[in-house]
Amino acid sequence: MTPYVDCYAQRSYPMPDEPFCTELSEEQRALKEKEKGSWTQLSQAEKVALYRLQFHETFAEMNHRSNEWKTVMGCVFFFIGFTALVIWWQRVYVFPKKVVTLTEERKAQQLQRLLDMKSNPIQGLAAHWDYEKKEWKK
Amino acid sequence: SHQKRAPSFHDKYGNAILAGGAIFCVSTWTYTATQIGIEWNMSPVGRVTPKEWRDQ
Repeated sequence: MTPYVDCYAQRSYPMPDEPFCTELSEEQRALKEKEKGSWTQLSQAEKVALYRLQFHETFAEMNHRSNEWKTVMGCVFFFIGFTALVIWWQRVYVFPKKVVTLTEERKAQQLQRLLDMKSNPIQGLAAHWDYEKKEWKK
Repeated sequence: SHQKRAPSFHDKYGNAILAGGAIFCVSTWTYTATQIGIEWNMSPVGRVTPKEWRDQ
């Protein structure tokens, strides 16, 4: 479809190539004929009706702040939240059993080994361990 | 003419949908992150007592 016609009229291109209404009723065609005469003969309502035949929206309507973002963001949040439910399902039905190296005991032993190797002694793990008292530095 | 626009779907329900979606999102993620058994592998510093491993 050609852009910028009919309801594609917008603030940056306010004058569509085609009028909004192309198929006119008898009454509307008579109004269009009357438009060819002097516009002082037209009533306010007729001017508005002619505008509505030509354009989809007024500038006031185009500039009107829309609340659509609320609906959009609400749906976005809903689906992000739904993702958490999917992860819950995966936790129950998909995740494998925890491997032995992730048990509390093995992790404590791995920690002792890291401390024995003086792992990252300046700012990291070993720097927080008091090797004399064998406890974490306060 | 200054005709009043009829409130659209978004005007009517936008706030409710936004609030509902945000609350649902926060609650499900809070539950998933804390209650279903995911371990976050926090730093052991000051928390875990190391355990001797050599004599195994």
